[in-house]
Amino acid sequence: MLKTLRLSFALRNTYRVNAILYGVRQIPLVKKILPETLYRIQAFKIIANILTVCWEVLWVFLGKILYVAVMIAGAASLYDWLPTDQVFLHILLFLTVIGSFANTGLFNPTRDKYYAMILLRMDAREYSLVHYGYMLIRTVVGFLPVCLIFGRANGVALWLCLLIPFSVAGIKAAVAGWTLYDYERRGVAYNENKLKKWTWALMALLLACAYGLPLLSVLLPVWLIAGVLIACIPAGAVGLIKVFSFGQYRQVNQELLAQLFSQQDLVKKKASDSVKKAISSDMALTSHRSGFEGLNELFIKRHRRILWRAAIRITVVFGLLVVAAVIAIGFISDREAVKMINRTVQTRLPYFVFIMYAINRGSGFTTALFVNCDQSLLTYSFFKEPANILRLFRIRLREIIKINALPALVIGAGLDLILYASGGTKYPVYYAVLVVSVVCMSLFFSVHYLTIYYLLQPYNIGTEIRSGTYRLVLIVTYVVCFAMIQIQLPLFAFGLSCIAFCVLYMVLSCLAVYRFAGKTFRLRL
Amino acid sequence: MKDRFQVVIDHLQKHYGEKEVLRDISFTFEQGQIYGLLGRNGAGKTTLFNCLNRDIRSDGGAFYLQEGGKRRPLGTRDIGYVPSTPTVPEFLTGREFLKFFLEINPHTGCDPAHMDEYFAYMSIAPEDRDKLLRDYSHGMKNKMQMLINIIAKPPLLLLDEPLTSLDVVVAEEIKQLLRREKEDRIIIFSTHIMDLALDLCDRIVLLSHGVLETVEKSDLGQEAFRERIIAALREEDHA
Repeated sequence: MLKTLRLSFALRNTYRVNAILYGVRQIPLVKKILPETLYRIQAFKIIANILTVCWEVLWVFLGKILYVAVMIAGAASLYDWLPTDQVFLHILLFLTVIGSFANTGLFNPTRDKYYAMILLRMDAREYSLVHYGYMLIRTVVGFLPVCLIFGRANGVALWLCLLIPFSVAGIKAAVAGWTLYDYERRGVAYNENKLKKWTWALMALLLACAYGLPLLSVLLPVWLIAGVLIACIPAGAVGLIKVFSFGQYRQVNQELLAQLFSQQDLVKKKASDSVKKAISSDMALTSHRSGFEGLNELFIKRHRRILWRAAIRITVVFGLLVVAAVIAIGFISDREAVKMINRTVQTRLPYFVFIMYAINRGSGFTTALFVNCDQSLLTYSFFKEPANILRLFRIRLREIIKINALPALVIGAGLDLILYASGGTKYPVYYAVLVVSVVCMSLFFSVHYLTIYYLLQPYNIGTEIRSGTYRLVLIVTYVVCFAMIQIQLPLFAFGLSCIAFCVLYMVLSCLAVYRFAGKTFRLRL
Repeated sequence: MKDRFQVVIDHLQKHYGEKEVLRDISFTFEQGQIYGLLGRNGAGKTTLFNCLNRDIRSDGGAFYLQEGGKRRPLGTRDIGYVPSTPTVPEFLTGREFLKFFLEINPHTGCDPAHMDEYFAYMSIAPEDRDKLLRDYSHGMKNKMQMLINIIAKPPLLLLDEPLTSLDVVVAEEIKQLLRREKEDRIIIFSTHIMDLALDLCDRIVLLSHGVLETVEKSDLGQEAFRERIIAALREEDHA
């Protein structure tokens, strides 16, 4: 048993360490510094090993802290008119029941299990039991301090706080035992990552009970919760007997691990298929234009569903929100509240950087361009001629600007309407600044996504992203846009600087594309 | 009479980290010949194609087109590249793709009015010409890709295992086509199938240890020539 534990940890660590080293090598510049023989260098392995062990230990507590702090204690604090300890226990019980079948630890096909049991042919029973035991110990050890701290802070009795970790482990073991029994009976392997419809429905029902019932001031009595938690212990013991006596771990795991790969392939296949299927078969969609304009027109017409539908939906939703907001302002009798809305519109324009980031179609547009057009055409020499690349870049830029401009115009005009309805401003130029800055943000994202696509072309022929720099740029874009949420600036100052920045960025990006895209717009190998 | 041209590769090098894939490639390819490029798995055949096609940057050396004593770099238009899996823009019909290609490549001198003749030349049936390329079979996509590359008239045509997954009829049609088309160009054909190389190619070139070398047929019979090639490929193991 100990040997299995040691071996499986060594295996898991090896692939985690290699994954870390691979990830580090994806960072631009770092790749050039670090040699390819990195995987052989012992010092790096030791550092990465220490990191993974730290992470393993930290995660025992960190995961539980996050879970209890946000999902249970945090949520419980929202129902401040109800007894805190009772809400805490009420939510905890329902979530624990969900966790018992959605997070079993035993029926979760993962790569390390595949490597160990299938590729290296380790004893499936021993491997499963060792890992299951380890998972249960982690559950108890991780939950014990967290439940004591958060439970006591919420007024839960000490004995209950001490009981909870064992009950959580108990209910998991009970469900695991029952599921193994069910496998023997029906031969169906339960996969916690591929839940059936009824399981999802059950989960939704339990969530509704956890968070919905307290809204109606309905809570399970503490004695009932305590009773269920106590009952979990003997139930868990019975479950463990089944877990230890079960003899078909190899079959179950083989079935689950076969699903793991079909599942992952399916996700990949679905992602590219959904773009491929998006080609309209309507042969009435034709073009009378020639050359690249014709190519573009056919592309846009035959992919209308994926290129335009989301933009139109977003426009409609924002249009309705604006109408609703303007009507609501008319009904608000509290002048202070209306003034607050007016102030918000005038100082919260930076927030719209994030909103425009979230709704812009740049990423979807470039994915569709690659999967359905450039993936194939980039293998033809004529398509890679710099003059042709630039000609098509201009046409595509025009198209993505059109797609993103529609919701931007509605949002900009909507903000003007809300500003006006909430008392307006004494500077009429503000209305113009508001619309123009939102439109500029949309222009910025259009240019940004198309530029990084042309300058970094991240995909290989199998439509996988192979560029660390591209990923990094996407992350930085997200972080910067997210950070803008925190900023409050006067409308005029932010609006003007935003417009200036967007114009400057667009000019520089287009120059960069004109200068470099002829060389960079290639298939990744 | 127009001078015949050559593609000259001069000390071409490419390495990935410490691994030298193309160590020192120097070779002259002659117009009108089909070259069968053979090599073990991982020998660097695709890397060589990618370097010539400028999909990856080489680490040293040069390659150029030589005609009538004059040299010029191989430009984008000079190379046609047909990868092993056919890639065509699936949202276009065969006719639209061909039309698009002819419109933006007027230098080919091909008349869009004669598109049906080009399709017929490639044995693409009339009822398939106005179907979306998405609905083409593997073989038809391959023909379409070949058609574009042949009409483009590049002096150098690189074919990366193009016949491997085609049915025997389509494979035979493409072979006939390549024989017809070889006169005005250089065709380099990478394959693992020895019979195909011997049947179709005028010269056999081995890529091993990062260098290119010709296997001379001399006055050997087909069987003896085959054994010589296999022996040369085996030597790699013992090198």
